[in-house]
Amino acid sequence: MTDWNAMSDEDFRREAREFFESEYPPALRYILRRARWHEMKEWWRKLYEKGWIAPNWPREWGGMGLEAGKMVALLEEMERHGVARAPDQGITQVGPIIMQFGTEEQKRRYLPGTLSGEFIWCQGYSEPNAGSDLASLQTSAIRVDDEFVINGQKIWTSLADDATHIYLLARTDRQVKKQAGISFFIVNLQTPGITIRPIRNLAGHEEFCQVFFDEVRVPLSALVGQLNEGWNIAKALLSFERLNIGSPRRPQYALHRLEAVARARGLFADPGFVDRYAAVKLDLEDLAALYGGFVEQAKRGEALGPEISMLKIWAMETWQRVTDLLVEVGEEQGVMPGVQDVAGVKADFLNAFYYARPATIYGGSSEIQRNILAKYVLRLPG
Amino acid sequence: MTERLASRSAADGAHRTLLADSVTAFTGRGADIARARRLRGSSEEYDRAAWRRMAELGWLGILVPDTHGGLGLGLPEMGIVARGLARALAPEPLVASAVMATTALAGGGSEALKREHLPRLVAGETVPVLAWQETAGAWDAASPALQARPLEGGYRLTGVKRFIAGAAQADVFLVSALADASPALFWVARDTAGVRLELEPLADGRQFGTLTLTDALVSRERVVARGRQAADALARALDYGAAVASAELCGVAERALEISLDYLRTRVQFGKPIGSFQALQHRGVDLYIQKELAGAVLDQVLEALGEAPDAASRAALASRLKARCSDAALRVTRESIQLHGAIGFTDDCDIGLYLKRALVLAGWLGSATQHRRRYVALSSENGK
Ligand SMILES: Cc1cc2nc3c(=O)[nH]c(=O)nc-3n(C[C@H](O)[C@H](O)[C@H](O)COP(=O)(O)OP(=O)(O)OC[C@H]3O[C@@H](n4cnc5c(N)ncnc54)[C@H](O)[C@@H]3O)c2cc1C
Repeated sequence: MTDWNAMSDEDFRREAREFFESEYPPALRYILRRARWHEMKEWWRKLYEKGWIAPNWPREWGGMGLEAGKMVALLEEMERHGVARAPDQGITQVGPIIMQFGTEEQKRRYLPGTLSGEFIWCQGYSEPNAGSDLASLQTSAIRVDDEFVINGQKIWTSLADDATHIYLLARTDRQVKKQAGISFFIVNLQTPGITIRPIRNLAGHEEFCQVFFDEVRVPLSALVGQLNEGWNIAKALLSFERLNIGSPRRPQYALHRLEAVARARGLFADPGFVDRYAAVKLDLEDLAALYGGFVEQAKRGEALGPEISMLKIWAMETWQRVTDLLVEVGEEQGVMPGVQDVAGVKADFLNAFYYARPATIYGGSSEIQRNILAKYVLRLPG
Repeated sequence: MTERLASRSAADGAHRTLLADSVTAFTGRGADIARARRLRGSSEEYDRAAWRRMAELGWLGILVPDTHGGLGLGLPEMGIVARGLARALAPEPLVASAVMATTALAGGGSEALKREHLPRLVAGETVPVLAWQETAGAWDAASPALQARPLEGGYRLTGVKRFIAGAAQADVFLVSALADASPALFWVARDTAGVRLELEPLADGRQFGTLTLTDALVSRERVVARGRQAADALARALDYGAAVASAELCGVAERALEISLDYLRTRVQFGKPIGSFQALQHRGVDLYIQKELAGAVLDQVLEALGEAPDAASRAALASRLKARCSDAALRVTRESIQLHGAIGFTDDCDIGLYLKRALVLAGWLGSATQHRRRYVALSSENGK
């Protein structure tokens, strides 16, 4: 297996660039919505064959074990070429959890398939009455002999209907403080008793789902980590999730469209527009600076503190500002669904706008992030 | 004189309250959007029977002088109807037809056309819309590229009009064109030979029409206005359209805020209604201020618009209004999604329909930015 770290940074960057340019499906460049599995399958296979599915995983499990500088180069090249993220919760979320908390058997059982794309994962945390207050979740897992029996309902589970497996939080002890009675499970979605019902979203797509559990029996090996340790496991991931979400990539793709449309409309001759454009562009470039600092910290192996919340807030709110402006410069075409043609430039204004909306809701809403900052960083009384 | 004014405003107040009540009744206690949901995305776009009921209630004739069968009322009354209907997202083309096309026809020079068609329009029998725009973002209607070449007994029209609201069931288009290098407005029936209409979907489930005219023959009797009169009628129609669209934006913002505040009162997280969190209380208050600000400008401008001393001050007022209402409604509806959390991002949740309507109303007839610009250009010309 190639040791990518042995390459010089320039060579690695060139390798990445050439790979993306020659192999990435042109139709999926700079897409402003979430890519579906069936669209990304082919690209996944190419990445897999190159050994590039999991830049963050250690090499012993088939990852790239990439060092900080090259990780940044890889991300930058992806951004430059407009490469979308495949449905990669297995790589960014479950994989690291299993590596850290799982048994040897769980690692052998799940990691290779996750890498190859045989297992596709979705995240079953939220419930109808447990959103921001996730710890109040009610889905239960009760041990009966050598099985757990799961009952309850998850909601907003993104791409559950594309997935083969779900990782979920369930209540395993009702007698203790709510955070202390939660465990982390991984469940095959083919297990009897599971029903998945897609929910149509604002953009008109069926992407997130309801997942119902009715007397779902899973083996004891579905439990990851210790019983009642689920909350800590989920929390361990949160800061990495926020780092991932805080990447400048998504606002960058939207800005890319904004620039193209503005050029087509001759808006750069208009000082009023230039000022607004410059403001969002700098919001984004400065986001990249903020992001870079956190990435360095993560790569040095330092724990990311509650400050990471500001990255998520700034990234997501910048993304929304860019797409707000994008719709506005679209004028009448900005409110017409589908890909619009602006003097030869193609733009899907509404999808760009719609998909930026929930970014301040999922992964901990902006309000919750602000509460965290106020309490744990500013240490304000409350 | 003060007495006369006072009694006039009391009378205004009384009939306006009646009008508002009848709109509330029409929309099923103010905000029944089942009809809007059912019709969105359909090719008919709206309900012709509902349009006729609106005609029976007199609403289509609000801006038509009583000499032509209308009520001879003004923009404040039209604003009441538009605002109330917008709360229920009623898909009928009130602004496109009963305001813009009506104003253009009424402001035209052809008495014959007015005599023949204004009463039919008031009765909801003919639904004309205005086809004035050619490029996205173009707010200047004075010099269309669409050509009208004179010929024996009439004109031959060639060109394309885009972003025509209310086109889905329109049977007549008031088409602006350049005839002998001077603006003109034509009454073009939908089934005229050489006229093709294509419909494209909008975010809110309605449609924009694209009208392509290829050597379409229009007789001289179908000229609504020419020269200065055509330019004036068109400019007035656009200003009135922007103003009444602003009333719709107010209705949308108002209803979206009500829905969101209800949600804040009922949704429980962390053991209490989320409306008890101060962060959300402040957001609610900020949105309320936006809504009130927009409502205040709306009332003032609708009152003043009909009596504006000249076209420039009228246009400045309309721009001021559309800028504020677009911004306010966009902000209220965008943040309403946020206040709802994930459920606000579902198609089933009504709040999204309000966001989509606000998007379309804000993007149509000039964005906030364009109107702020036009406002400054016009008011500095006036030395204000
Ligand atoms: C597109 C999308 C994809 C998602 N994908 C997944 C997924 O794959 N898996 C999964 O498990 N979940 C997923 N979620 C769910 C997401 O995690 C929740 O939406 C989120 O936790 C917020 O919960 P809620 O939607 O119930 O909103 P609520 O918690 O009800 O919040 C409603 C509003 O109240 C505010 N609020 C709540 N509490 C406070 C407070 N204490 N102070 C101030 N304001 C507060 C919120 O910020 C929000 O504005 C997804 C959501 C979306 C929109």
